[in-house]
Amino acid sequence: MEFDELQKIWDSQTKEPLWVINEHGLHKRILAKKSQAHHITNFSELLTIWVNLGAGSFVLGVNFFKRPENLFMYVMAGWMLVTALFVVVSRIRRLKSETTFDRSMLGELNEAIAMATYQVRLSRLLRWNIVPIGALSLLSVWEGGKSGWLLVVLLIFFVLVYFASGWEHRIYAVKKRELDVLLKKLQTEETVS
Amino acid sequence: MSELEQNQTFTQWLGQHKALLFKVVRAYAVTAMDQDDLFQEIIIQVWHSIPAFRQQSSTTTWIYRIALNTAIKWANKERKHTQSTETLDQLPPILQETAIQIDERLTWLYEEIYKLDEIDRSLSLLILDGFSYKEMATILGITESNVGVKINRIKKLLISKSKQQDYHGI
Repeated sequence: MEFDELQKIWDSQTKEPLWVINEHGLHKRILAKKSQAHHITNFSELLTIWVNLGAGSFVLGVNFFKRPENLFMYVMAGWMLVTALFVVVSRIRRLKSETTFDRSMLGELNEAIAMATYQVRLSRLLRWNIVPIGALSLLSVWEGGKSGWLLVVLLIFFVLVYFASGWEHRIYAVKKRELDVLLKKLQTEETVS
Repeated sequence: MSELEQNQTFTQWLGQHKALLFKVVRAYAVTAMDQDDLFQEIIIQVWHSIPAFRQQSSTTTWIYRIALNTAIKWANKERKHTQSTETLDQLPPILQETAIQIDERLTWLYEEIYKLDEIDRSLSLLILDGFSYKEMATILGITESNVGVKINRIKKLLISKSKQQDYHGI
């Protein structure tokens, strides 16, 4: 068949739709989807901000009112508050950049890649952030003269958290790679065989 | 834009362009469950896109762009995740088949389009629906010459496949 014939076969479909829409089902789906549409980036950002803000303030407050004061706990509280501030700034920048992409498919893909890149960077940052937080926690426990077992338990806990966050990071990295492949497919100038 | 205006536009668009949406869904999803899933993804994206529509292009071009973009992303990754959304699985299906006897050549054409990669599927739909190279380039965000090269290859492939099928009565 030549392409014109394929075109005629194709055009026949517009006269006879293959499906009808269940309006009631559609409405329920949209409502259900809207209620679940809490985006993962939004969620992880807000979670990071509140956890760091809450934990940082808590550590700061406890250390301030408890004697003797512990220098490492002050450093840790400061670190957590700075992390929260950093994520707030990143979030504002991300939200502003959302309007800069054009409305073509390439623009949409670039936007999705920018979002995926952001997620990869954020998860990498949060993964490495476990190292200073863990180190400062261990140092403050050690300086407080607590038992060696507590140090060991804490160390195991932070190692497990580090590996768990590595698993999360890989999910974002895979997602970004898939989008990169798509972009490549869209942009590749292929020669006619 | 108020939610009422958004809903009115949505209902109007859905009424006018559902055939377009069905084509995209059929080209990107095979099973009834996947078709339903993809359709709802597209519909939601179309609904969300209404306030951003500035009438710089036709509604057909706009909706096609949203539908194809959603379908490409869905085909690439979303399907893996959406299948685990239990609450949505319990809801009634959106798409219901009509009693119309489908032309087997059309089924064959959809199967061939489905075998192409995600981007080429989009281009096949656009060329079959009569979009110009310029419109396709605008929808995809790539150059007209790039569109031309890809389209030539797809056309040649489909023609060649259809000739092979001639021996089996199609």
